[in-house]
Amino acid sequence: MESTQALSRELQEIDSVITKYKGKHGELLGILEETQLLNEKKYLSEDALNHVALKTGVPLSRIYNVVTFYSFFNLKPQGKHTVIVCRGTACHTKGSKSLLGDVGLILDCSKQLEEEAGSFTTPDSQFTVSTVACFGQCALAPVVAIDGIIHSNVTTTKLQKLLNKISKGRKKS
Amino acid sequence: METKTVNIKINNSDYQVPQGVTILDAAKRVGIDIPTLCYCEDVSKNASCAVCVVEVKNARSLIRSCVTCVNEGMEITTNSTHVREARKTNVELILANHPKDCLSCLRNQNCELQEIAAELGVKETRFVRTKKLEPLDETSPSIIRDPNKCILCGRCIAVCSEVQTVYAIGLSNRGIQSKVSTYMEKGLGNVACTNCGQCALVCPTGAIVERDETDKVFDDLLNPEKYVVVQTAPAIRVGIGEAMGLAPGSLVTGQMVAGLRRLGFDKVFDTQFTADLTIIEEGHELIRRLTHKGTLPMITSCSPGWIKFAEHFFPNSLDHLSTCKSPQQMFGSVAKTYYAAKIGVDPRKIVVVSVMPCTAKKYEARRPEMMGAFEYWKERKGWSDDDAFYDIDYVLTTRELARMFKESGVRFAALPSEEFDSPLGESTGAAVIFGATGGVMEAALRTAYEVVTGTPLPDINFMPARGMEGIKEAEVDLDGTKIKVAVAHTLKNARKLLEQIEKGESPYAFIEIMTCPGGCLGGGGQPIPTTWNIRKMRADSIYAEDAHKPLRKSHENPQVQALYKEFLKEPLGEVSHHLLHTHYKKRGLFVWQQNGEGKNADQHAEKETN
Ligand code: SF4
Ligand code: SF4
Ligand code: SF4
Ligand code: FES
Repeated sequence: MESTQALSRELQEIDSVITKYKGKHGELLGILEETQLLNEKKYLSEDALNHVALKTGVPLSRIYNVVTFYSFFNLKPQGKHTVIVCRGTACHTKGSKSLLGDVGLILDCSKQLEEEAGSFTTPDSQFTVSTVACFGQCALAPVVAIDGIIHSNVTTTKLQKLLNKISKGRKKS
Repeated sequence: METKTVNIKINNSDYQVPQGVTILDAAKRVGIDIPTLCYCEDVSKNASCAVCVVEVKNARSLIRSCVTCVNEGMEITTNSTHVREARKTNVELILANHPKDCLSCLRNQNCELQEIAAELGVKETRFVRTKKLEPLDETSPSIIRDPNKCILCGRCIAVCSEVQTVYAIGLSNRGIQSKVSTYMEKGLGNVACTNCGQCALVCPTGAIVERDETDKVFDDLLNPEKYVVVQTAPAIRVGIGEAMGLAPGSLVTGQMVAGLRRLGFDKVFDTQFTADLTIIEEGHELIRRLTHKGTLPMITSCSPGWIKFAEHFFPNSLDHLSTCKSPQQMFGSVAKTYYAAKIGVDPRKIVVVSVMPCTAKKYEARRPEMMGAFEYWKERKGWSDDDAFYDIDYVLTTRELARMFKESGVRFAALPSEEFDSPLGESTGAAVIFGATGGVMEAALRTAYEVVTGTPLPDINFMPARGMEGIKEAEVDLDGTKIKVAVAHTLKNARKLLEQIEKGESPYAFIEIMTCPGGCLGGGGQPIPTTWNIRKMRADSIYAEDAHKPLRKSHENPQVQALYKEFLKEPLGEVSHHLLHTHYKKRGLFVWQQNGEGKNADQHAEKETN
């Protein structure tokens, strides 16, 4: 939960984003994109979306349409780091499914992985794990993106190394 | 006017058709039917189902005829094996993700998907399910959505946003996960939805339906402890015949009454009685506002979808709404006070069932302020809140009543014509026309004109209020005071008049607003399909019934006169104030914040009562 103070600051910032985009082409998309960046957990909170609707007059259902259509919008708080496992055909044949399972084991979140397939954030807000249909890097399969950097030909050992590097110091629960 | 034509070939015959029409239209003009599923004339064409495909010479793939226009020299084949197989496959693909529980579906035998499958000879599907099962949306007291039965034709979204400008639903996600959603999946009961049911009226399948309450009504009809009375709205008599298989627009007042008696109602009454009563109260309210510098324009308040629309989108203009309850609600208050006392029955035992052309009436009946009769008795008899009851117990739509008739084996066409019971069954022609757009305006003027000027309207048929135009206007001379009036139907047109008011530019003194296209006769609870043609046929029957009524002005209704004499005393008096008038709530857009998250309809009704 964000504090009310932080929220009202965020809403003020959204106001200036809205003014900036007023009348510009792709207004709504631009506003939503920047609004997401404003949030420290890199997501569009319901309060933020309500505010955008109120100030722009765009119907709520239309906003919901846009934020669920584009995959770069997040409706849930994001972790500090992102792990995206490609589940395209090429990666699948090269074992991306078991890589995903490895992520679950390494980050100690196998249960969440099973229940909230698609995208979820670990309880300590450190990692957001998600999948994509295809990265378009099929020649390098299997592919995993960590914090925006695409790693190719990933194996369990490689994955372990990469993740351990980031989570060094992260408490084992 | 000369229209350009083009030469085309359909199935190897030569035709000349107007330029710019779709292949589908062109084929229809020359007597060739192409099957369609998602396409809906006047409503939407998002070309999602690919059932209407045809072969076009030199085209690389099959063409969707509902969105492709004809060209000079086009050669079209509508019935090759290739085309027929493709259509079948497309329907099978839709059915792969469809529950196929026709037997328990409210749209069984009135479903476009079922029909097209039968027409194309699709008996089973070769494909496996690809979509996840979705939960039902049961948050609204009026409407239930089953996303699993949705074929994504987009009609509901088009109606909700373009005809009603409510935008309660939209498409969400994409690809295989696309679906019709409310904002954040909150459900219709937790967003700014007006419950108008126009989405249910256009849905080709059982994906959006009315909340069915027929079982509860059957139960109470069998309960010897209960005294069950029914009221029927004006638009039912021109709709129920249709739902029972008669021609669209059939006027079946007498058979409807007979059928309701066969179902076992203790008394069969008419909402038109309280429509006449509404005119007396509302007419006097208008006169009072005109003479006492009240808020103008005054806007009618019979249509609960419109009321909720105003509460969500124009919360600062609610003073313009007449304080009169709708005829349905006035009926409940009067039946459980005046009538209960008259027949000496404990009002707690009386069950009032309404038959309405409207899904929003289900919501209206559950508004916490709609307990006028209980409040009345509580004050006089000291009853506790445990005895609390609503003025209206159940609201059935036209479609639900048809279902009850069918289930009970009431053979509609063979029924004799019977009369409504007295006294709450008496009505005038002014009340009948409440069912059509412009009717309340015309009825109100028939009375108000006479009250103010002392003479009847020059022509009792007030033609400027009639017809299907979106916004109608007229000027009336009330004894030297000229007033302008307007009539609007659909919420899109309502929005225009409200924006005008909020800008301070409204020239009107009195406005009638009905939520549904054509007025109540085109309501969200009416038989499916309801097209503009059918609406016009229903309207013709309404005006025919008015013309044949011996009394045509509300203030001439002898039983309404008796009600004032024996009980209410005077229009806008003390008793009326408590039983027949109401107030409204500023809701705004973010309804769930007031309702509390995830509450179902009943729970939040309870919460608001406390
Ligand atoms: S929507 Fe149509 S096809 Fe589907 S279950 Fe209902 S009646 Fe059957
Ligand atoms: S009931 Fe009316 S307002 Fe609500 S979703 Fe359907 S069309 Fe829109
Ligand atoms: S709910 Fe009905 S009208 Fe709406 S998209 Fe689905 S099938 Fe079409
Ligand atoms: S009717 Fe043409 S695509 Fe559905």
